[in-house]
Amino acid sequence: MENRIVAENMAQLFQRAAEQYGDLPAFATRKKELEWEPVSFRKLYEKGLNLATGLIKLGVKAKEHVGLFGDNRFEWILSDYGIQLCGAVNVPRGRDITDAELVYIINHAEIKIAFVETAQLANSIINLKKELPTLKKIILHEKSDSNAKYVLNIAEVEEIGMKLREKGDRQAESRMEAINPEDLFTLIYTSGTTGKPKGVMLSHGNIMSQMKVIPIKLNCTDRVLSILPVWHSFERVFEVYTISCGVCTYYTSIRTLADDLKNVEPTFMGSAPRLWESLHQRILKRVKEAHPMRRLLFHTAYFLSKQYKSSLYFMFDRKLKTEKESSLLRIVQLPFHALRWLLVTPFYGFFNVAVLEPIRLSAGGSLKATVSGGGALPKEIDRFFNYIGIPVLEGYGMTETSPVIAVRTEDQLVIGTVGPIVEETEVRIVDLETGDTLYPDRSHPENGRGIRGEIHVKGPQVMQGYYKEKELTANTIRNGWLRTGDLGMITFNNCLKILGRSKSTIVLLSGENLEPEPIEMRLTQSPLVEHCMVVGQDKKFIGALIVPDLGELRAKGIQAQTLAEASENEEAKKLMRAEIKKVISTSNGFKRHELIQEFQLLPETFKIGVELTSLFKMKRHIIQDKYADKIESMYPNESSGGK
Amino acid sequence: MEFTTQLLYPIDQILLAVMIFSIMFGMGASLTIDDFKTVMRYPRGILIGFLSQFGLMPFFAYGLAIFLNLPPAYAIAIILIGCLPGGTTSNMFAYFARGSVALSIAMTTASTVMALLMMPILLEFYTAEFTSAISAELQTAGTGTEFVIPTGNIISSLILVLVPVALGMFLRAKSQAWAKTAEDTAGFMGIIVILYLIGTAFARHSGLMLQTPINIYIAAICVGLLGFLFGFWMSRLFKLSPIFQRAISLETGIQNGPIAFAIILLSFAEPIQSQMLWLAILYSTFIVITSSFITLYYRRVGKFDYEIYKNTTIHNKLFGDEYVSNYPDGFLPKRIEHDPSQGFTPSQIREKK
Repeated sequence: MENRIVAENMAQLFQRAAEQYGDLPAFATRKKELEWEPVSFRKLYEKGLNLATGLIKLGVKAKEHVGLFGDNRFEWILSDYGIQLCGAVNVPRGRDITDAELVYIINHAEIKIAFVETAQLANSIINLKKELPTLKKIILHEKSDSNAKYVLNIAEVEEIGMKLREKGDRQAESRMEAINPEDLFTLIYTSGTTGKPKGVMLSHGNIMSQMKVIPIKLNCTDRVLSILPVWHSFERVFEVYTISCGVCTYYTSIRTLADDLKNVEPTFMGSAPRLWESLHQRILKRVKEAHPMRRLLFHTAYFLSKQYKSSLYFMFDRKLKTEKESSLLRIVQLPFHALRWLLVTPFYGFFNVAVLEPIRLSAGGSLKATVSGGGALPKEIDRFFNYIGIPVLEGYGMTETSPVIAVRTEDQLVIGTVGPIVEETEVRIVDLETGDTLYPDRSHPENGRGIRGEIHVKGPQVMQGYYKEKELTANTIRNGWLRTGDLGMITFNNCLKILGRSKSTIVLLSGENLEPEPIEMRLTQSPLVEHCMVVGQDKKFIGALIVPDLGELRAKGIQAQTLAEASENEEAKKLMRAEIKKVISTSNGFKRHELIQEFQLLPETFKIGVELTSLFKMKRHIIQDKYADKIESMYPNESSGGK
Repeated sequence: MEFTTQLLYPIDQILLAVMIFSIMFGMGASLTIDDFKTVMRYPRGILIGFLSQFGLMPFFAYGLAIFLNLPPAYAIAIILIGCLPGGTTSNMFAYFARGSVALSIAMTTASTVMALLMMPILLEFYTAEFTSAISAELQTAGTGTEFVIPTGNIISSLILVLVPVALGMFLRAKSQAWAKTAEDTAGFMGIIVILYLIGTAFARHSGLMLQTPINIYIAAICVGLLGFLFGFWMSRLFKLSPIFQRAISLETGIQNGPIAFAIILLSFAEPIQSQMLWLAILYSTFIVITSSFITLYYRRVGKFDYEIYKNTTIHNKLFGDEYVSNYPDGFLPKRIEHDPSQGFTPSQIREKK
């Protein structure tokens, strides 16, 4: 039973959710392991109205940009309510924001009032005050005893508003009525992986169109665990979507995730590939440590599931189809697959129940599905979870498209793709060099399916542009078509397959092009490798910067206490060299010029906010700058032709 | 139909004994003392379960024997199956059918203990006319012996199969990890042995499947199906919640097959032993298939009410016992809306009254 609300704007959505879902919990905050504090849709809306009225009193105008610097917690969503209900626009960013970014964003967006999560972050802002001429007030999420007169607590602002509303103040309501679909609801600054932050302007119309097209069914009985940063568009859209569907969101943290998965038993979750990678390694490790009987049971179960599912995928046309397949061959193969499916089913049934279900329970028992976004999911891991029965719906999107462009559904779960394009949205595949449309184009066989090119998108979710960046906007959006900068193709069963980032393509000295992502993805699956980045632009061959997994190295007998020690250890290097040779080889499907010839072990790991974005994407240029000498040392004699 | 040779060779009998031992051991490994205490928490569910397990099932088995005009040995076998306590497989099916696993475990525990008392009484009561028929047959054949239900033997074989259960429980108390492995391994072995037995039975007694009259198949299939059907309706009549209805339904239909094998092997002699065993094998085979389908069906129809139940339970677990989950008007189907077990908290029930 599904009942999502589709509204004209965020404020109207909040109002209708309060009417329709009333006392049901909207958000829950963890106090203790088994003690959570719920806030109902109605209560949240009331608090939001009070806060909005307080903000109006503080001088917030309609369409004004209000800062919102903090991570997932109830006060975050309350601030969002307050800002939307007074017709303003929020400018969100996480707690890990750097001083330089603070100065750039606050000045660029001309922020007068900002919500700030912690007293610590407020202090850094106060220290930067001289560089922030527009900023007038800071509203803290945390309770603090700051005496600065421009620092308020969110509860104080709420109280100001409450008193006004008791006297009959209804300014918030008139602000809400004045909101147009093309007005902005948020201005998200993306640090992206390159360059200075860009302010992505998303309108109420943009986000509301997503409520219509998201093909995932949720209702009041669902529970969503929120772990990814809420200010990022990917988590944000689910946050709004849960309100639309009357679902309760439970805020968790990395520290408490394992417990919360067990206690909340979420039915749905937004997740990033990194989460699945670590879960995958944890499950494999547990299997490895179990005694032989259990291991045998697991491998039998996995084997059967693989047979069962691949026949099922074949029969229902759900396997990856990047090449045209003759229908005659299909008709010939069909009975064989049907027979295999029939034979395997009873055994699969037993093993699914006895062996695979406990494994699924360890990953949060009630998960119906989970969407993975913010980066490509390695194919092996993708397969693994689908075979053990946790459907991972990989999606594709970007902040600029608020964000969903395509997502797999349970009916069209084609492993290796990001599923079909969502409704009301058009996608074009464009030749990078000539700029010609390859798909859809009747002059190509099969309308241009299976040809690789850059992905362009047109639809109601495409942003209004980059704030104060006319030229950049014009370069990115032409005639309504947004250039994503990603490479992809449309498969023969109409799913989108992502093939890397057009901008991260490495061109070797020899002129050969290669995508670093597939190589990196394959390499990080090795238990020895925690992170790695492939380099080699304009060089003779490619090299890799590798952060090894210290625990695994030590388990293999390497005497090293720290990563720094390990990076100098000859034994470790020898081990790694052998591993790379094994994993990245021509027999594994890599081309000759894709083989890693040199590598360097890094003395410290990649940190979120420094080398990684909050969704664990590598900031290539930062890593490149930081380890420039390490990279150079891999190519000691470049002029005379490598090593 | 007569068996000219023994259905099972000595080697098979040993295998069967090993299977019975390991399955019962696995059953014990899945139980804790707390499960016995849980029985007390569901007095209504247990009582209704008891009525359907020891009231309905033996009666249906008897009814089938009469209605299908089964030969006496098969009639006794089907009644024996009807009187059995529940097995651990039903707990697994209850889990996947979105039924109450706690109730299913509690019912298995309670019925296994109760079986010591109930089985002899029920067998005596329902099999009287069939035993005299067998006696008459034996008399005409000239062997001159009187056939009676070996009550003493049945009780001692019941006690005997409870020994591995106790051992399993002991293991569980010592090491939970080992107990879990024992449980899964036992389940796996159970499947392998039963497949082997069916396979060899076919290989050695070629045509046995074809020779077996249709009414015997009907009996083997229907005894379980009737259990599912009436277990469900009876608990529905008594207004138990859907998750309990599904658990009781499966628990009623799925009997503890290994106990049947043990009793038949230890307490009955040829010429009727092979015939009884054959029916027990047929029942064990078909019940896995029928309960799989029933489970898939329950899983589908029970999805919505189970999700509501689960969500409400988690609300109470995290937000406190007094928390009331108020779903929007018209969200809950009528049947669930008025059902207190669908997650109404104590305070809510007071309010409704």
